[in-house]
Parts: sequence; structure tokens; C-alpha cells
Amino acid sequence: MKGHLHPVTSIIREMCSIFDGMGFSVAQGPELEDEFHNFDALNVPPDHPARDMQDTFWIKTKPGEAKKVLRTHTSSVQVRFLESLAKSPAGPRPFKIVVPGKVYRNEATDATHEAQFFQFEGLYVNKAVSMAELKGTLERFFREFLGPSAKIRMRASYFGFVEPGVEVDVWYKDRWLEVVGAGIVHPKVIAAAGLDPQTWKGFAFGFGVDRLVLMRYGIDDIRHLYSGDLRLINQF
Amino acid sequence: MKISYDWLSSYFKKPLIGGPLPRPEKLAELFNAHFAEVEGVEKVGEDTVLDLKTLADRNHYALSHLGVAVEAGAILKKDLVLKPPARVAIDASVPAQAVEVRDEKLCRRYMARRIEGVTVGSAPAWLRRRLEAIGARSINSVVDAGNYVMFDKQQPLHAFDADKVRGSIVVRRARAGERMTLLDGREVELREGDLLIADEEGPLVIAGVKGGKRAEVTESTRNLIIESANFDPTAVRRTATRLNIRNDSSKRFENDLSPHIANQCLEEVTALILEMSGGKAGPITDIYPSPAQKWTIEADPAQINAVTGLSLPAEEMVAIFRRLWCEVVLCDGRLFVTPPYVRQDLAIAEDLADEIGRIHGYDRLEARQTPDVPPTPIDKAFYWSEKAKNILVGLGFSETLLYTLVPKGSFEVSYPLASDKSALREAIAPKLKESLAMNARNAELLGLETVRAFEIGKVFPAQGERASLCLGVCQIKKKKGVTSESLLRESLEALKAGLGAAFEVRIETGAFGVVAEVDFDAVVANLPAQGALADLSFVRLPRDQRYKPFSPYPFIARDIALFVPSGTADSAVSSAIAAAARDAAGKLLVKGPDQFDRFEKEGRVSYAFRMVFQSFEKTLSDDEANAFMAKVYEAAKGKGWEVR
Repeated sequence: MKGHLHPVTSIIREMCSIFDGMGFSVAQGPELEDEFHNFDALNVPPDHPARDMQDTFWIKTKPGEAKKVLRTHTSSVQVRFLESLAKSPAGPRPFKIVVPGKVYRNEATDATHEAQFFQFEGLYVNKAVSMAELKGTLERFFREFLGPSAKIRMRASYFGFVEPGVEVDVWYKDRWLEVVGAGIVHPKVIAAAGLDPQTWKGFAFGFGVDRLVLMRYGIDDIRHLYSGDLRLINQF
Repeated sequence: MKISYDWLSSYFKKPLIGGPLPRPEKLAELFNAHFAEVEGVEKVGEDTVLDLKTLADRNHYALSHLGVAVEAGAILKKDLVLKPPARVAIDASVPAQAVEVRDEKLCRRYMARRIEGVTVGSAPAWLRRRLEAIGARSINSVVDAGNYVMFDKQQPLHAFDADKVRGSIVVRRARAGERMTLLDGREVELREGDLLIADEEGPLVIAGVKGGKRAEVTESTRNLIIESANFDPTAVRRTATRLNIRNDSSKRFENDLSPHIANQCLEEVTALILEMSGGKAGPITDIYPSPAQKWTIEADPAQINAVTGLSLPAEEMVAIFRRLWCEVVLCDGRLFVTPPYVRQDLAIAEDLADEIGRIHGYDRLEARQTPDVPPTPIDKAFYWSEKAKNILVGLGFSETLLYTLVPKGSFEVSYPLASDKSALREAIAPKLKESLAMNARNAELLGLETVRAFEIGKVFPAQGERASLCLGVCQIKKKKGVTSESLLRESLEALKAGLGAAFEVRIETGAFGVVAEVDFDAVVANLPAQGALADLSFVRLPRDQRYKPFSPYPFIARDIALFVPSGTADSAVSSAIAAAARDAAGKLLVKGPDQFDRFEKEGRVSYAFRMVFQSFEKTLSDDEANAFMAKVYEAAKGKGWEVR
């Protein structure tokens, strides 16, 4: 008898396959992150109200030790990947990656909120990158993921690490669902990773995977996903 | 920020027919697309209130009706109709207010003015209506004037009872251990970093955060000092966070208010107070050591089009910036954009592209595909962990994703949500054991003879983060020569062979069954380079699969064993039992009847079926299950079969 993949894994695999079709590779990064990669390098400065947008799990450290957090988003991997290119002997080059991974938020849990969940980050870097290409990429994704008639819309939004920043909604079962934050990578992020922001541009997007899982299968409570209960897992 | 539709409309010229703005729901849709999310549209009396979730980078101008009106004007291509700026006649008999600013870093501007001979009463109905519509409590004609100007133009204002202030107003840092009583009666202890508005006697106000009781304006107040000031956002945020005071004032200061607007807002609040409470206004004291300077962003329109992907002519960009109250010069094909003081968020060309993109509308942006780039190999650890998942699923294992946060571990969380979520897991096994035990209890429901589960995920032992693979087996149905451990060992061998890896694991046995956990980073380190994503044979999922909820209540499993004469068709027996069970229990029959035994003896055939009953509403009693079974027995007997 065959076993069962967790639905989060299945959805991540499907997302990876669709983006693979558009030339995106898969990258990974640590879950226990330093403050620099999770916040500072992403243009979310200390004491800025933007940090309120994310309730952070700070990890106790010894005096003098760099502050550590459970990453609040997979965006931290953006900086790490850019850094690795900046330091590589061959020098920077255009690339496309996606980063599926577990992230954490220090907030009260309920049927739609969990302290841990999964994000799916995307980053495309080249010498010229536009919002029109971002729209084309996400539109193509949803047409493959939901069906050829899938509709998306982009709305003005704000995340420190992108400018312009947008929220992307998808039309699903007669309503707009907010599923992706995205935008053009802020020049400060490119610079923080050690690349020249005049030369290198990028777009980035971040999906909430859990939301897609709940939506796709009609699961009523996000907490079922992390309880190790085969009454859910073995349905998939 | 709650925005009154009527208040907002007052910024636009009313046409002969209809209102100056689209109806509230339509306006909400436009704000959603171009400016900020509208979280609610609610009718309040004759007015409608839009609840805007303004964005963190726009909160230095968007927490005001004027700021939102400018956005509405830019989106709708409508000009705002502004009243001439308030000018107040100064009465020579009223003295200037003495002010001393001792910390010019934390207090970027301090303006004060005395108003003498006021009669504090209640504000007129039109103003109270506007405040109440957006959920602000009306207090008195002086406090309400200040709040009105804040909600209208963003600047928080403060009024002191001048007769309760001793000597000059002093803006200074608190001394450690200084205490004061706030307007709400709460007593707080201050720290050195806190900025205070004080007098000879001590603290009057925590700058930008909360007023004190001592110089509170009451019905008997005759003389006022009005403050219109600007404080350092970080200092306000720190103090407000520590004292857990979040209000309309601290929220605006935290978001880096422009000191430029203090003057106009002081004039406006003075005019409102004179109108509503009478009195005579004195001259303005203004301590503003480094006045804000305007700044200009130079950008190539082609660069802006490159970021958005639009091909807007420069003239259209100019029009958009002007509608956002920027001064714009187009010179030699380059844009020189000078934003209004309150738009500190506009600093670089990308910010300009953001304004163009959102105001022009992303719905009008034509989608394009990205060009091909040289391929990047996929992450090696990802590749091998997905390989391992494929192998384990093939061996009958189900994948869990368990909680990282556990009660104890080497890495502790500073402010845990709950005591059982206060550290990072050092291993997957403890939670997987719990999962095995829970699933073993549900084995009948799951139809499992053996529970097999695994997880590949990060663990955080004292040495630091690494990937771990944990698998467990719990044998439910006994079989000769087979144990949970033997099944696990077989699976481990198959996994090693599938990966082409060699590793040792420690097997742990208990009531839960058996588990084994291995350092997966170490396993991957010894494996060859990764292949391509296509080698992982990811399958596309069916689009129509839906989840079936499960009941939180316990289930009851029951069996029926019966003899039927030889020659009776198997299908006749099973369908008769199934029909009887369905008739008896309806939707409470959640699994089965599943045949689990059949043998022939002395011209008869024996069958055994198992069925599971469960309710979504309650715990089923034994009596209820017995009643269902009685009906099934009845049906079997009716066929002439013998129930054993």
C-alpha cells in the first residue's frame, strides 16, 4: 500500500513544476536566521513600524551574540542567494529561483493563523526587469495551477524589500483571494547583498502556501495541517 | 484609519447632480486597486465610513482625510477644492508662551501659542458628528478641535490648561525614576530615553504619546496653551511600545510626520477653538532649528517605464505627479519631481515608478513573459529530500509536518506564545511518537493494519540547525514473524538502497511502536550531485479533489460474523450487509462494512465484516451502536443467514 505525501508538499511540488517550466530553479536557506538577513538587508530597519507587520519569534542569545530569529519569511533567502552570486568567482549572472520553506510568526493561532506555515518565494534577477513580466509570470502560474481561465489582479501594497510593491489576488470561487505579495526588488536589497543596483534589477514574489492548500482542498482549519493526523494526510 | 465619506466629499466640488465622489463601495474598490486596502464599508447614520488599512510607507500622510482626498483626486483625476488657509488675528494683550527645547534631536519642532478667555463647552453638532462617525469620542470643544484637525490634516495637537502650568514649557528627556499620572489616571514610571513636555513642577505630557492629568483641559479651563510639535519617530515608538500605549497621536508620530505641517495645523486648530470656544489668541512660539527642506528626484521617464513595463509618455507621468501634489519639471527629456513635504516615502526612481504604476493602474498593464536565462542547478538538499520522500511514500509511509516549537530545547524563544511552544525542537522523534500513537488509535477509521509515518525537516540541536529524517512504524494487526521493528528495519534498508546511501540509525521502541531518526545533512553530504527537477517525477495534482472533514468525536467499530449457505454469491452477502448498515446508521456509518474474514466449513461459508460508526455532533454511545447492529443482525437473519 502506498503512503501519502503531505498536501503542503504536494502543492509545493506542483508549484515547483510550474515554475520549472518557466526556468526557475529551487533554492533553500536556514529557518533560524540572523537579524541582518531577515530584516536589515531587506530594508526593514530596526524600530520601523514595518516590523510590526511581522510578529517575530526572537531567539534568546548570549550577550554579544548576533540576534537570531525564526525567519518570518522566505525572503531572507533572496539576500543569501544574491550574496552567494556576488561572492562567486564567476561573478553575478541572471537567474530565476523559487524558495519553498517553513516560516514562523509569533501570533495567536486560530483556524486561519498558525505560528508556523509555508511560503514559496520567487526571485528573478536580470539587467532589466519589469512589473509587466512579474504580472505575466504570476498570471501564467495561476493559469496552470487553477485552470486556463484563472484571473489575477495586482493592487498597490508595501513591503520594505520591494518597490513598487503589490499584493496579488486571484479570482477563486466568486471572490478575490489575497495570495501573493510581490514587487520589484528594492535597490537597497541588491546593494545589501553586495551587487550593484544600477546594473542588477529583480522581481520577487512570495506565496502563502497554506492558503493555497486550504483553498484548493477546502480544508477548514489550518491547524489540521501540522498535527500529524493521518485522517487528513491520508486523504491526499 | 477610518475615513468619513462625507468628510472626504467636502474636499471636492459638488456637481449639480449627485455627489462629488463615486458611491462608497465603488470608491472602496478604487482605493483597493490604487492606494490601500479597504477592510470595511459601514453605514454610520447618514454617513458611510471606509476603514482603510493604509500601508506602512504611506502612514506619514495617509492617516488624514486630506491625505486620502489627495489620493482620491489623483485616482479620479479630480481637483480638490481647498478652503483658504486659516489665518488668526493675534491679540496684543496675550503674551507669547515661553518654551525651552533641551533636546533638538528628539524634538524636531515645537510650536506653542496661548489662547486666553475661552469658554470650554461642547463642540457643534457638525463636528461631533464627523468625529463620532469615525469612532472618535467627543470630549469638549477644545479637545475636539485638536482631534478634528489631526484627523483632517494628520498633525497631533495638544492643549494644556495654561493656569495649571508653572513657568515655561520645557521639552526634555525624563530622569530615571520620574513618575507621572496620565490623563486616564494610570501612573507610569519614566525612563531616561522618554521625551517629556514639562514645567517647573515636573512632567506634563509624554511627548507625542500621552497627556498628563495635571494640566488637563476641563470645563472650568479659561486659558490654554496649544502645542503643535514634531517628535522623533523612533523615540515615540520606543516609549509607546514600552508603556503599551498606542493611540492616534503616537501612531502618527511613529510614522515620521513632516514637521512642515505643524504651522498650518496650529493656525487651523486656533481658528476652530476661537470659533467654538471664544477667546483671544497670542503670538506663536516656534522652535525649529533645522527646518525641513524640499528635495528633488531626477529620473529618466524611460527608466520608470522600464520598471513598470508601461510605455507611458513623459507628459502623462507629469500629470500623475501633479495630481499627487508634486512639483514637476520635464527638462531635456528628464523628470525632476519635487514631492510635497509630507511625501517622505518618495526618494528614488523606483518610488516614482510605484506611483506611476499604481495610479495609472496595474489592471492596464500588459503582461509579459520573462526571457530565458542560463539554468541554475536545484538545491542539493532539496533534491535528495524529495527523492527520500518518494521512496518512503512508495514504502507506505505518510508524510507529517509537525510543530517546530516544543516545550524544551537548546534554542529558546524570547516571548513564547505558550509554555509548550517555548523552544525549537532538537529532534523530530518526540512529536512523531505522539503522531504514531494518535494515528494508532484511529487505525480502524483509517483502515490501516500498520501506521507508518515520516518527516524530513529542520531540527535545532545545541550545535545548530540541520535537516533530519525521522520515520516510525506502529503495527496494529498482529502478524506472525512480523513486528513494528522488523517492518522499520526493512524500510530503512529499502530507503538506503533507493538513495544509494549508507548510514546507521538508533531505533527507539515504546508503546508508540518504533522510531528512527537520522542526520539528513550528513546523509546528503555523502550523496552524489543533484539531478534536475524532472528526475524527481513530481506529479500534477487533480484539480477537483476536496477534503472531507473528520469528526472530533470518538468512533465505535463493530463486527458482524455470519454463516451463509454455500453457493450464495459473495457480492450478494456484502451488498446485503452494506445496505442494512446504511439503513440502520445512515451518515453515522463512516467506514465499511469491510470484509476481513471468509472461510468455508461444512457446506457453509463464514463471513466477517467490520464497520465504523461516528457522529459529527456528539460521542456515540454503546447503546446507539448496539441498536445499529441489532438492525444489521435482523436483516441478515431475514435472509435466513445465521449470525454467529
